[in-house]
Amino acid sequence: MSKTLNNFSSIREKVSHGKITVDLTTSISKLSLRNPTVLASGILGSSYSLLKRVEDAGAGALTTKTITRDPREGYVNPVFVDLGYGYLNAIGLRNPGAEEFSKELSRATKNIQIPIITSIGGSKFEEFIFVAEKMLEAGCDALELNLSCPHVDGYGLDVGLDAKLTCEIIKQLKSVSSKPIFAKISLHQSQKNLLEKYINAGLDGITAINALKGLAISIEALSPILSNVIGGLSGPCIKPVALAIVYEIHREFPDIPIIGVGGIQSPEDAIEMILVGASAVGIGSAIVRKDLKIFMEIIDGIERFLLDNGFKSVKELIGYINRR
Amino acid sequence: MNIHDNLLGREWVDRQHFDCFSSKYVIGEVYEIRQLTQTIREYNARLKEDMEPVPGQFAMLWIPRVGEIPLSFADYSKQTARLIISRVGRVTSYIHENISKGSKILLRGPLGRGFTIHSKRSCLLIGGGYGLAPLYYLAKILKENNCRLKTLLGFKHSEDVFYVNEFGQVSEVHVSTEDGGKGFKGTVIDMLEKIFKEEESFDVVYACGREEMLMRVVQECVKRNIDVEISLERQIKCGLGICGSCSIEPLGLRVCRDGPVFKGDILLQIKESEIESDGEKICLRH
Repeated sequence: MSKTLNNFSSIREKVSHGKITVDLTTSISKLSLRNPTVLASGILGSSYSLLKRVEDAGAGALTTKTITRDPREGYVNPVFVDLGYGYLNAIGLRNPGAEEFSKELSRATKNIQIPIITSIGGSKFEEFIFVAEKMLEAGCDALELNLSCPHVDGYGLDVGLDAKLTCEIIKQLKSVSSKPIFAKISLHQSQKNLLEKYINAGLDGITAINALKGLAISIEALSPILSNVIGGLSGPCIKPVALAIVYEIHREFPDIPIIGVGGIQSPEDAIEMILVGASAVGIGSAIVRKDLKIFMEIIDGIERFLLDNGFKSVKELIGYINRR
Repeated sequence: MNIHDNLLGREWVDRQHFDCFSSKYVIGEVYEIRQLTQTIREYNARLKEDMEPVPGQFAMLWIPRVGEIPLSFADYSKQTARLIISRVGRVTSYIHENISKGSKILLRGPLGRGFTIHSKRSCLLIGGGYGLAPLYYLAKILKENNCRLKTLLGFKHSEDVFYVNEFGQVSEVHVSTEDGGKGFKGTVIDMLEKIFKEEESFDVVYACGREEMLMRVVQECVKRNIDVEISLERQIKCGLGICGSCSIEPLGLRVCRDGPVFKGDILLQIKESEIESDGEKICLRH
């Protein structure tokens, strides 16, 4: 089997090796994925052409950048720090706004075959609903509520910790659309009672975890590095946290599909995430080191793991450790 | 081969490995500053660690509590970097006013992909104004690789002219000014057309400057079937190819990661006017 991108114009779902066939497909609520890799929100998802490029790189689904009602310039540089053991970013929810992005999304939904999850953000009920309706009109396959951005006041985490507001948003969206609604949460919202409220309001799936709140200082400059001072910590250092949260959510709510995100840099990381209960894995800052070929590396690695260990499908691995 | 590998060229994708690069800040100390024109200065800094950039690659220069801007290497050797900085915005004004001999600077890089370095070829370098910066380092390296060099430098006014003597040490140089005060009277494109009319041929053309100028250079080269490489500019945020701010539409190519140096023909496929209103695709100088 060739492992290069060259002959990868149509990404395989089932792969035969002699008599053995392994099934790489997975599903998250109503979404069917050709493989369990998902472009995480905040990464490259700001235009049709970038989304298309990630589809071509092999992804099973795409999450757009978080879209807000009005355009946001984001913060001034520096917005990104490479810590060696992880990354810190405070881009500031930079996005072209709902009106402008809906044109990009319409093009994307017409020309991209894999599911597109639109990440939406806001500081008020009305803002979330406005953005959601625009994105649904443009034909996105699912919505992901950004309830956990750690570095924009009034957005993300500030909304996510308000259970009443979040539940109202979920209920309203469920009443106007049959498309799945996911919530992207962080460490701070992983308590059982909070998630229970979201799920009772109609939430279809959980994306966990968002970047953790973080800060980087340069002692040479006697200064914080990020212009916003506070940022979101991602990359390999948050993987154990992400695994723990996904494990707990899956244990408490085994019927709720989870996109496991946080420090996935290799096929092994992805397999670990699936074993603790994720139905799919989000890929984000790994692109810094490995660029877009990370998608094929993970897909090929999962396939090899299934073959080497006698599994027939990715679905058999989901939550495997909880069942033992 | 997918569409982006096609656009970039297979050999292009393989040529420079970007798996292993550093994005941590390297500390440097400014040891010499030269005023090149009224608004352009050259900063020379000794670095604590080696960066070893390829000509055309860039670094992010961080000025704590002010901002961080992308700058191409105007020259580099043995832990010594040369940066050419034009006073055009908030951060560059701050640098002109506050960075002096002995000041510490912080750089992360080298980032992106640089120019293809040929040896024993006939090369034409075309620089428009402030855009000539990466071409000087390129010229030096090409010269070391036994290339035959000709450089065309275009400026608006005679008082904008700089770096002619520097280029003169490594290349044949021709200058144009639109006011005719120095060298050829006209644009660098007029000068290029004249050279092509004289039937002079080149194996490869390298160009850097304003995008309208680059477009004309590419059109002239494509007509004559000459390889051309150009360096593009967009607003760069993360510098590592993940935030999407510097994407070239509708190609989905990232200036900071897939570029800033591209094969010239991609310029003929850029159509960005339709999404310029999102504020992301407008080229912002600092």
